[in-house]
Amino acid sequence: MTNDDSGLNDVFQRYRSACPDVEPSANFMPGIWQRIESRHSFRIVFQQLARPLMAGSAALLLLLVILNIVSSQQTRLTAPSYVDALLADHSAEKTYYTEAIRSAPSANERPAVYQH
Amino acid sequence: MLVERETIERARTGDAAAFNEIVLAYRKRILGTVSRLIGRPEDVEDVAQEVFVRLYYSLDQLRTSEVFEPWLYRLTVNASYDYLRRAKRRNESRMADLSEQQVMMADSLAGGRQEDDERQKGQVREFMDALFRHVSEEDRLLLTLKEVEGLSLKELEKVYGVNENALKVRLFRARQRVLKAYKTAIANGSF
Repeated sequence: MTNDDSGLNDVFQRYRSACPDVEPSANFMPGIWQRIESRHSFRIVFQQLARPLMAGSAALLLLLVILNIVSSQQTRLTAPSYVDALLADHSAEKTYYTEAIRSAPSANERPAVYQH
Repeated sequence: MLVERETIERARTGDAAAFNEIVLAYRKRILGTVSRLIGRPEDVEDVAQEVFVRLYYSLDQLRTSEVFEPWLYRLTVNASYDYLRRAKRRNESRMADLSEQQVMMADSLAGGRQEDDERQKGQVREFMDALFRHVSEEDRLLLTLKEVEGLSLKELEKVYGVNENALKVRLFRARQRVLKAYKTAIANGSF
């Protein structure tokens, strides 16, 4: 051990004796109970507030879940599936084709110049 | 242990009389430890009361009454640590420069000119406080428990719940930093 080390140890020892053994005051024990009581009442208030808040949050969560389920079911009923969409697209083509055929004038509908 | 295990068990179940018994048995020891950990006599009682309030609310977490004393030490260290952090925040703006204090302390301690014993003790505390500013609050507490309180590594292991080797490394580094500050004090003012 160097001189510095032993010097530092000496300072630690001096520090120990420089920190006196503090005698508790007459208010020591009542002070503890006062703090315990004040924290206890804070905890009670917190618990009283926390319970309705928790219940409210749970109810809101439940409502959101129900709304989500209902809206997803409605979407399934109303929105066309991919197959429906393809069919719809195909029928549109067909309609177009049919309309094209229909648009060719029939014999009765031909203008008089073509009728021999 | 300063109280019967049965008293601790009763306190755990919410028996106020048993808790009072524990406070009466340990208050002097806790006041002394807090005094050495924080180094400010004016705030010792406040911190010690906080230790017992924390004990009251954490007794149900105590696994067994066998580990009661390390548990109480841990609460003491934590309450002191919180106090030191608050105090550091409060005093940061008016914190004196270490070198000034070192010179002042070196003069007063080496010269032996102090008539007032209390004043000298106050200066020793201030000097130690200045040296401790070279380490973190956690290391200050660890070093104080080891070097000033005289706790063994085994006891510290129980208090901190950390293995002995990790504590040794941490203690060594903290001590080296304080030693460096102490050497500077000697260089500045013949300690």
